[in-house]
Amino acid sequence: MGRLSAASVPPPTPGPASASAVAEELVPGPVREPGVPFVEIEAVRAKEFVPAAKEALTDLIAEQGQQKLIRPVFNWAGRNSLFPLHWGLACCAIEFAAAFGARWDAERFGVVPRSSPRQCDLMIVNGTVTWKVAHKLVTLYEQMPEPKWVIAMGNCATGGGPFRTAYSVVPGVDKLVPVDVYIAGCPPRPEAMLDGILQLEKLIRERKE
Amino acid sequence: MKPEEVAGVLGPKLGDKLLGVDPFEGTAGRVRFDRSGALAMFTSARDDLGFAHLSMVGGIDWVDHREVVYALWSDGAKQYLLLSTNVPVDDPHVESASGVWPSAAWHEREAWEMVDITFDHHPDLRHLLMPDGYAFHPLLRSFKLHEPEELEVKSRHV
Repeated sequence: MGRLSAASVPPPTPGPASASAVAEELVPGPVREPGVPFVEIEAVRAKEFVPAAKEALTDLIAEQGQQKLIRPVFNWAGRNSLFPLHWGLACCAIEFAAAFGARWDAERFGVVPRSSPRQCDLMIVNGTVTWKVAHKLVTLYEQMPEPKWVIAMGNCATGGGPFRTAYSVVPGVDKLVPVDVYIAGCPPRPEAMLDGILQLEKLIRERKE
Repeated sequence: MKPEEVAGVLGPKLGDKLLGVDPFEGTAGRVRFDRSGALAMFTSARDDLGFAHLSMVGGIDWVDHREVVYALWSDGAKQYLLLSTNVPVDDPHVESASGVWPSAAWHEREAWEMVDITFDHHPDLRHLLMPDGYAFHPLLRSFKLHEPEELEVKSRHV
C-alpha cells in the first residue's frame, strides 16, 4: 500500500466515550514535525485508508466525470487483454490455431484463448455455422460476461460463403449474434486474423459506454 | 458366396416376399424383397447367412417411388450383401432393422430426416443432422434450394 499524505487523513476528534475509544485505536504512530523531512514510511491502516480513498475518489469522479476518468482505464485494460473463446467450427479454426503458434504469436497482443465462455470477452466465430450448432453458439455467447465482442472470421461466418443457399447453413452469424468485426478470406491467413483483432482494439479504444 | 446360394437359403424362409437376387459386382448379390417381409429378411440374413454386421442404411428418391438400401458385411465370407426394398411415395414406411442390428438406429434416423422414409418400431426416430423442428427433408428431389432469407423464415427453430 502506498503512503497516504497526512493531510488527507482526518485527525481524531474528541467525542462521546465510544467514539473516543475508536479514535484511540486509529491514532497513527509517529507524529510528523513541521519542517522535518519525512523519511520513514507511514503505516496506514485499512480503517483509515478506505474512507480517505473513497472521499478522494468521489471528489475526482464528481470533478472530472466518471466517463472521462474510468472509461479510458477500462478500455485500455480491455483491449490489451482480449480473451477469445477457444473453439473451432471448421477449417478457419486451423488458421485460428496457427495464429497462436510460434510464428504469428497472437499472445503478444494479450490475446489468450480460454476454454470457458465465462472467462471470455471475445468470440471468434471461425467456420461454417449450421442450424444445428446455432443455438449452442447463442448459448455460449449468452454465457460470456459483459462487455463482449464478436469477430466473424472467414466468408462462411460472414455470409454463409459457398454454402449460402444450402439447406443446413446459417447465412451469416450476424443473424444470431451482433458482430463487431468481419474478416474476409477463405480461410483468412493468421495475419488477417491479427489485423481483425487490431481493428477490434481500435473499436474498443473509442468505446464510450 | 454366389447369388444363387443366397437365393437358395432365403427362398424357403421368405417365400413370395423374396422378389429376386441379382448379381452385383464386388458383393454376394443384391437381394430385392417386399417390405412386408422385412423383419424375416433381416433375421434370416443375420442368422442363416451370417451377415452379422450392418454397414449402411440409405434411402434413394426415385421420384415415383423410394428405395431403401442396406449393406451387410459377413466376417466369415468376407463379402458384402446388398438388400433393397421399394416403398411408395404416399406411404413411405418400412420395418426398422434396429431390432436385428442395433447400429441401424443411427442410419435410419439419417434416412428419415433426409429422404423422409419412416421406420416402424424405431426406438428413437428424431433428427440427427438437423435441429429439432426442421421443416424439410432436404435430399428429396422435390426440395428446392432456398434463398437465404426464405430459408431463415421457414426455419425458425433456433
